[in-house]
Amino acid sequence: MSTTRKTAARVLGIDGVPIVTALVIVTVYFSATVPAFLDGEGLRYYLNEEVPIFIITAGLALVIIAGGIDLSIGAVLGLSAGTSLLASMHGAPVILAVLVGVGTGAAFGLLNGLVIVKLRLNDFIVTLGTLNIAAGLLVVLTDHVQITGTDDARYLAIANHSVLSVSSALVLAVLVVAVLQAVLVKSAFGRRVRASGAGASPALVAGVDAGRTKLYAYVVSGSLAGFGGVLLASRLNSVQPGMAGGYELSAIAAAVLGGVSLAGGRGAIWQAAVGGLLLATLKQGFRLTGVDPLVFSIIIGVCILVGVIVDRSVYRLALTLGSPASVSPRPEPARASGGPGR
Amino acid sequence: METTSAPLSVGTIAGPAPLLEMTDISKRYLGVQALDHVDLVVRQGEIHALLGGNGAGKSTLLNVLAGLVRPDAGSITLSGEPVSIDHPREAQKLGIVTIHQELSTVPDLTVLENILLGNETALTAQGALFLHRRQMARRVQPLAAEFGITAAELWRPVAEFGALKRRAIEIVKALAAEPKILILDEPTSGLEDHEKSLLFEHMRGLQRRGVALIWVTHHLDELFGLADVATVMRDGRTVTTAAIATLDQGRLVSHMFGGEAAELLSIPGAAERPADDPVRGRPRLRVTNVSRPGILRDISFDLYPGEVLGIAGLAGAGRTELVRALMGLDKISSGRIEVDGRVRRLSHPRRAYRAGLAMVPEDRKQMGILPEFSVAESISISRLGSVSVAGLLSGRKERLLADSYISTLGIKTPSPREKIRNLSGGNQQKAVIARCLNTRPAILIFDEPTQGIDVHAKAEVHRLIRELVDGGTSVLLVASEFSELISLSDRVIVMNRGSLVGEIPDIHRRVADQGIDAVKHLIIDRASRAEQ
Repeated sequence: MSTTRKTAARVLGIDGVPIVTALVIVTVYFSATVPAFLDGEGLRYYLNEEVPIFIITAGLALVIIAGGIDLSIGAVLGLSAGTSLLASMHGAPVILAVLVGVGTGAAFGLLNGLVIVKLRLNDFIVTLGTLNIAAGLLVVLTDHVQITGTDDARYLAIANHSVLSVSSALVLAVLVVAVLQAVLVKSAFGRRVRASGAGASPALVAGVDAGRTKLYAYVVSGSLAGFGGVLLASRLNSVQPGMAGGYELSAIAAAVLGGVSLAGGRGAIWQAAVGGLLLATLKQGFRLTGVDPLVFSIIIGVCILVGVIVDRSVYRLALTLGSPASVSPRPEPARASGGPGR
Repeated sequence: METTSAPLSVGTIAGPAPLLEMTDISKRYLGVQALDHVDLVVRQGEIHALLGGNGAGKSTLLNVLAGLVRPDAGSITLSGEPVSIDHPREAQKLGIVTIHQELSTVPDLTVLENILLGNETALTAQGALFLHRRQMARRVQPLAAEFGITAAELWRPVAEFGALKRRAIEIVKALAAEPKILILDEPTSGLEDHEKSLLFEHMRGLQRRGVALIWVTHHLDELFGLADVATVMRDGRTVTTAAIATLDQGRLVSHMFGGEAAELLSIPGAAERPADDPVRGRPRLRVTNVSRPGILRDISFDLYPGEVLGIAGLAGAGRTELVRALMGLDKISSGRIEVDGRVRRLSHPRRAYRAGLAMVPEDRKQMGILPEFSVAESISISRLGSVSVAGLLSGRKERLLADSYISTLGIKTPSPREKIRNLSGGNQQKAVIARCLNTRPAILIFDEPTQGIDVHAKAEVHRLIRELVDGGTSVLLVASEFSELISLSDRVIVMNRGSLVGEIPDIHRRVADQGIDAVKHLIIDRASRAEQ
């Protein structure tokens, strides 16, 4: 094998290089081919629209790294937008309205975590259940109609305030990603998250409370969904049933594109967020090119598959190059058989 | 090329022509020459021992043979025909079967399904379209029975069985494939003495049927009387190939490790240790009537400061289950555990660590290491406070901590940031020990601490255990190999089917008085008696 190829493989093997490269390529491509792409106003508008997804992607990435999966975040985000906006409409001060939204999300996160960890049920099924519960509650809460709106200017300013010509919502999203990334890398909790996801049994033997760690990860994910809901309600000043449905799928796609392994134990929050940015950029680019939205969902689907395949092969390559001693035919070890639900 | 240091004795090579010839095999990984012009010649019906320390290149060579690794150079011929083995399927087609050191059964499938996995063609009736399970079960059963797998057990999922039975399943699976060349990579790790001899008998049987066996082992004493030829590797090269009859253990060791090995292995033996008991005083660990339905019955014992307490027993006696219960990995239904006179509820490993216990678990791959973690992260994980500054993990402190253990325990790794999965078994084990030491345990539990590591690393682990005990740590040791257990322990308790059936104090004096065999027999007698 030529040295240049090896070097290329090793550079690509560095954390984050593939996803950032992909984002740069896509951005450059659209900047060059679609004149309207670089329009500041359009870009800002579009990014604002994606803020809730960035935020739940961060929380979801944490759960996945801890060895779980959270399908409820989209529906919980919608429900939290509803509870928070209603609180504000009924005269709750802005702090309280925010707390109601975040609290709604946290409660669902706690519910998910407790059921999964204490009853040892499967993450996928449990959060699929709570997804439906949250979506149903939003219908009940809104009584099938759109609710609007609050007069509390300070509530509306949460997401719409402009900071250095960028919306406050976007600033908050960046902050969330940065803080959560720091938590993952620099805190004992973050280290335990990685340990629990990498293998529940060996983590336990090492004295890591894998169950409790996962529970906390779900609470973080739920709270962030709640916070995302607050930002959404604040930006739109209206909430309707079915809102934010399907956001969880965008978040999963973003996380996986960003190199977060669904097997747990491997990934970074910021890379998942960049994955979200990549998806958002693709959507915006295709939208501006005038591609039928139903068609560009196909293109995005293909991009996700290609992205995952590339990520996997780069990881394998890095693994082979980096390990003289053992070349395992299966680079990703099977999940510990003693996981929850077994 | 280098197969010169001892001439092949006529007795072994007068037989058939070489079945397998691997010539000039080289393989280079990023900066490391894993194989450097290696030759291996194996004849039909030969038991060929492949020896070498960790990292000598045995695994890479065998991976080449199994189609898992493609060599950069070299050729392979089988019965004189050149072959290229690019894929494990290819190897299987050629009749090359491997029994791996690590257990590789699929827990959710039944024993029968595991045995059939990949063996379908060999076991299906000619021309049959579907797998007839019952028919296959009948075919496999006699072989399985020899390894203690009953007809009923064939239909149970593997997850229900312990490491020992899983090993038996793998052996049956390999034999069912009717191999021409059978590679056994540490096949006896985790086996009891009587199962070992059973396996050896089977190896002889296969040999008589003309199967060539390539046998990797770290237990040099097993070789004599069984293997015909030994090839020794060191640093990716063949050091020698010679008839076993012309070698002795000492010669083998110096081939494997070079000059300095002999002194390394002359660790103080059991008989040389001071015969007097450690000063006892208050027990550090007092276990009273600990029970777990169907698993542990009324276990009571004390562990004193500065002693090694060995737990002996046959497979299924409940040794691992006992130490798991102490570590809070399994719940106990009744009983009391006191540490330094205080009753502790050890319901979770976290609590056990806080109470001053730590454990080096059996089955390093499944229970010991977090493969994605770096060496440094693997060492700090059980006490993250030791690498934190103001509540945040400090990369610098973590690296310093890792460096200090890497040098004191002699962990061979390119850097503290290397993923632990890339280390050899012995070095992974040392990292797990470092992780335990970092929690400053008063009581350290070792469950099969030397399983699957080479004699060199084994000697180091033994020495380390003695140093710890001399420093006042209490050690609880589970080891299936009786000679290891006896030479390390001050006192041995014997378990039999979930109960404690005896205690043998003053092991060292007893060994000095009666010899190690007498003590061994005493333990085996207690451990295997049918009634209580």
